[in-house]
Amino acid sequence: MREMRQLTAVQLGKKIKEREISVSEAVQAALLQIENVEKHVGSYVSIEEEAALEQARKIQQRIDKGELTGILAGVPMAVKDNMCTAGIRTTCSSKILENFIPTYTAEAVRNLENAGAVILGKTNMDEFAMGSTTETSAWGATRNPWNLEHVPGGSSGGSCAAVAAEECFYALGSDTGGSIRQPSAFCGVTGLKPTYGTVSRYGLIAYGSSLDQIGPVAKDVTDCAAILEEITSYDKKDSTSLKRKDRDFMSALKDDVKGMRIGIPKDYLGDGLEEEVKTAVLAAAKTLEEKGAEVEMFDLALVEYAIPAYYVIACAEASSNLARFDGVKYGYRAGEYEGLHDMYKKSRSQGFGPEVKRRIMLGSFVLSSGYYDAYYLKALRTKALIKQEFDKAFARYDVILGPAAPTTAPKIGSSLKEPLKMYLGDIYTVAVNLAGLPGITLPCGLDSKGLPIGLQLIGDCFQEKKIIQTAYAFEQTRERRSPYEERV
Amino acid sequence: MRESEKKQRQGQNIISDETMEYVEILAKLELSSEEKEHAKKDMEEMLDYIDKLNELDTSGIEPMSHVFPVNNVFREDVVTNENDRENMLKNAPNVSGDSYQVPKTVG
Amino acid sequence: MRKEYEMVIGLEVHVELATKTKIFCGCSTAFGGEPNTHTCPVCTGMPGSLPVLNKQVVEYAMAVGLAAGCSITRYCKFDRKNYFYPDNPQNYQISQLYLPICRDGKVEIETSSGKKTVGIHEIHMEEDAGKLIHDEWEDCSFVDYNRSGVPLIEIVSEPDMRSAEEVIAYLEKLRMMIQYLGASDCKLNEGSMRADVNLSVREAGTEQMGTRTEMKNLNSFKAITRAIEAEKNRQIDLLEEGKEVIQETRRWDDVKEYSYAMRSKEDAQDYRYFPEPDLVPVEISDEWIARIKAAQPELQPEKMERYQREYGLPQYDAEIITASKHLADIFEETAELCKKPKKVSNWLMGETMRLMKEKEMDAEELRFSPRHLAELIALTEDGSLSNTVAKEVFEKIFEEDIEPGSYVKEHGLNVVNDEGELRNAAAQVIKSNPKSVSDYRNGKEKAIGFLVGQTMKAMKGKANPGMVNKILKELLSQT
Repeated sequence: MREMRQLTAVQLGKKIKEREISVSEAVQAALLQIENVEKHVGSYVSIEEEAALEQARKIQQRIDKGELTGILAGVPMAVKDNMCTAGIRTTCSSKILENFIPTYTAEAVRNLENAGAVILGKTNMDEFAMGSTTETSAWGATRNPWNLEHVPGGSSGGSCAAVAAEECFYALGSDTGGSIRQPSAFCGVTGLKPTYGTVSRYGLIAYGSSLDQIGPVAKDVTDCAAILEEITSYDKKDSTSLKRKDRDFMSALKDDVKGMRIGIPKDYLGDGLEEEVKTAVLAAAKTLEEKGAEVEMFDLALVEYAIPAYYVIACAEASSNLARFDGVKYGYRAGEYEGLHDMYKKSRSQGFGPEVKRRIMLGSFVLSSGYYDAYYLKALRTKALIKQEFDKAFARYDVILGPAAPTTAPKIGSSLKEPLKMYLGDIYTVAVNLAGLPGITLPCGLDSKGLPIGLQLIGDCFQEKKIIQTAYAFEQTRERRSPYEERV
Repeated sequence: MRESEKKQRQGQNIISDETMEYVEILAKLELSSEEKEHAKKDMEEMLDYIDKLNELDTSGIEPMSHVFPVNNVFREDVVTNENDRENMLKNAPNVSGDSYQVPKTVG
Repeated sequence: MRKEYEMVIGLEVHVELATKTKIFCGCSTAFGGEPNTHTCPVCTGMPGSLPVLNKQVVEYAMAVGLAAGCSITRYCKFDRKNYFYPDNPQNYQISQLYLPICRDGKVEIETSSGKKTVGIHEIHMEEDAGKLIHDEWEDCSFVDYNRSGVPLIEIVSEPDMRSAEEVIAYLEKLRMMIQYLGASDCKLNEGSMRADVNLSVREAGTEQMGTRTEMKNLNSFKAITRAIEAEKNRQIDLLEEGKEVIQETRRWDDVKEYSYAMRSKEDAQDYRYFPEPDLVPVEISDEWIARIKAAQPELQPEKMERYQREYGLPQYDAEIITASKHLADIFEETAELCKKPKKVSNWLMGETMRLMKEKEMDAEELRFSPRHLAELIALTEDGSLSNTVAKEVFEKIFEEDIEPGSYVKEHGLNVVNDEGELRNAAAQVIKSNPKSVSDYRNGKEKAIGFLVGQTMKAMKGKANPGMVNKILKELLSQT
């Protein structure tokens, strides 16, 4: 028989609804798994055991009274540590926010709380979401549950590892340049980055404001659709929030891709792509074709320009977004300093890790006098061209299919030495953020090392349903796998 | 303007020490000499890579700061917040009375 | 011999808008609250907080721009200005650099040397900073974010001014216009209007611009005048000594009448502006502009014209009273209460102006209530207060805004209408002033005036002069 912790969020939600399982039992099952595997995996920055058990009792009461009837009511979950949670320490995996306890809750988290979510804790991440491995966390690296010598990917590595390791039933991640999709691929889970503006950014500690988007990390496509329905909201507190009418994402859970037009960019299969990843992705395309989709290769221009444009824009915005961490209003202040500017410099230099400092420096430089046009405006113009290329592609295709990353999860310690090489790993994910598009990754196989391979499906803006439907249809052809028991 | 402008040498960006110092002032960061050497090398590499954008002809293209053409999102001019000083000061590393304390700023 | 120099001056005027809430959050803008009581995650730069634009800010900015003849930018955006300072909680200020809301306006000014047009380069919207209080004993400062996020417009003039007089005339004109629009109270002493002066000098008759400096911390018109003169002399001295003027920001110390450079290695003055990603652009339609135009309140020229037409005030009086929106408001409210506009105008043009001059006050600082002036006018009109006493009482109203009715009663200042008492006093005056009495009887009718005055004096002013006159004439005719 399946263990409770192996259930998907929607399966568990049904059992809670049918009184087969109590909320407390679900929370205890997750906490037990945390106790068993957390010391190896290290998914969490903070675990709120008591608060979760207390919350479980309250939510059970509300379910019993019929106040909470949603599909996710009572399901224990985890939140990436860059989303503010009132009363729960929120650090962005940075020393500079070591003791920061927000007095407000991110809108996406609040929406889930209103739906009856139980927060188990906050998950580890690359410091301020800057990284692709979750190794830049000030609290130490998270490990890939499939192979503890490998990274879980990043920056939402804690959320993805926690879901893969069954330490929670689902999690929230955030995606600025692939930070949900790439670690989801590395950890063999399903992660979705919604269209920009779909989920409120209020309470999400900003990295690149024009690119950041919160999304679900879950065990399957159904869970992703269910979670997305709950976190999609128009929020007056976020000026970039959009009014979405088509929020019934679960209606797209149809095992039907007949006539779905799928394009595979040739440039997504070029140099640098590991053969095993390529094989698995093409096999997935074949599967979809066999199910009736129209699949063809096409030229998506400008793929190689997305990374430089992305790093200019993200770092520029980050250099400004992270200026507020200065030792005055909250967070770390250096112990000794001489005068105001020394206090700023020492607090920030001691509080931020090397990758964050690197990106702040780069961002400050590209915005500085004399360089703004050459770098920043050039990047914004490139972004406009990339958007145009996607517009052209989506005139012909419903879905763009490709890998989520060129490789499977690298070994711990192998990436940070060569930042540029690490950045190049974002090649298949960053363009989606530049163009504000939705994207989903889901498992499509294991490589010879036994590490998961991720399939990425990209949709036109507001077309989450098309990628959900395609992903769901593909998912029906496979069995779900867990690192602890190859077949669930 | 600044002396330490970006120089092109065989397609390589060279960042001078003055530029590094200048960027440290802008970013309010203070790197150790070892960190600085590292950062300099990383930045040069990144800029070389970013220079790839110069291959693209972007003349006549409007810089796209916002990806969707959404305009005019406003609040009404109505007071919605009450005194929440205690909460606002809660996380401050150095509070004096009812205010945030900082090293003396010159008048 | 010194060469002839001329100044070239441009102004950056910051005006705090009269909105109820801050530009990007629902915190109150009320002046003078306890430190940090009007703050929230947004205006203290908490991580994860986001700005949402107050619509009224856009409308006030448009109203000022339209009144100053600007063209309205149909598609405008906000940008971030990045610099570290503790009064700036995010360490960037949300402002407008690339697409400010208003451009290309002008303001007509008049000085002793005639009429002139000062160009407005642009008006943009931005957020104010918090307040720093410096500890006198300890080496630290305190930050109060109540002002952080209060909406500002910055009005940037062209470098069209050539003297301190023109600068003051320009500022007075701007202030009057903005007060009439109700967009700000424009109080220099409370900082709701602040002017930074960009000044350079050049040899008279040349076209080339000299190197300019920017002067900050100017808290009154007088300080502005003094700072302009001092900076002009400093720059001329430098040039005469063969030295160069350095382009820099200077801070004026009005007590020492001296300015110093605000340079520091840590202030790179490289603001790294870029489009604010957390706010969406503002698109302004023809209909919106038309609505703002239609809602524009009566401005000074129309009000002045109406005062002459409706209340029959002389042009001069109408001009003086309408020069301050506050004074004009006092006038209209008082006139409405007592229905004697000319009397009101007399009180304002006479006693009010005299006291303001004596106390070196500005019309904006007037604090008496129209109701009390109206009451005073009623008391003089019904004869229960003499003019002399009324002036005394008015001074009290002016200073302490006392309620005249009860004040008069308490201090026994009512006109004495008891004929017996008046007769006694008059008889006494006749007895003690035989010279004037005989002069009057010998046909020098004017002598009666002296006797009336003496009687009034004896009555401590609390008599009705008409009645005294009548009684004196009666007594004198009785042999």
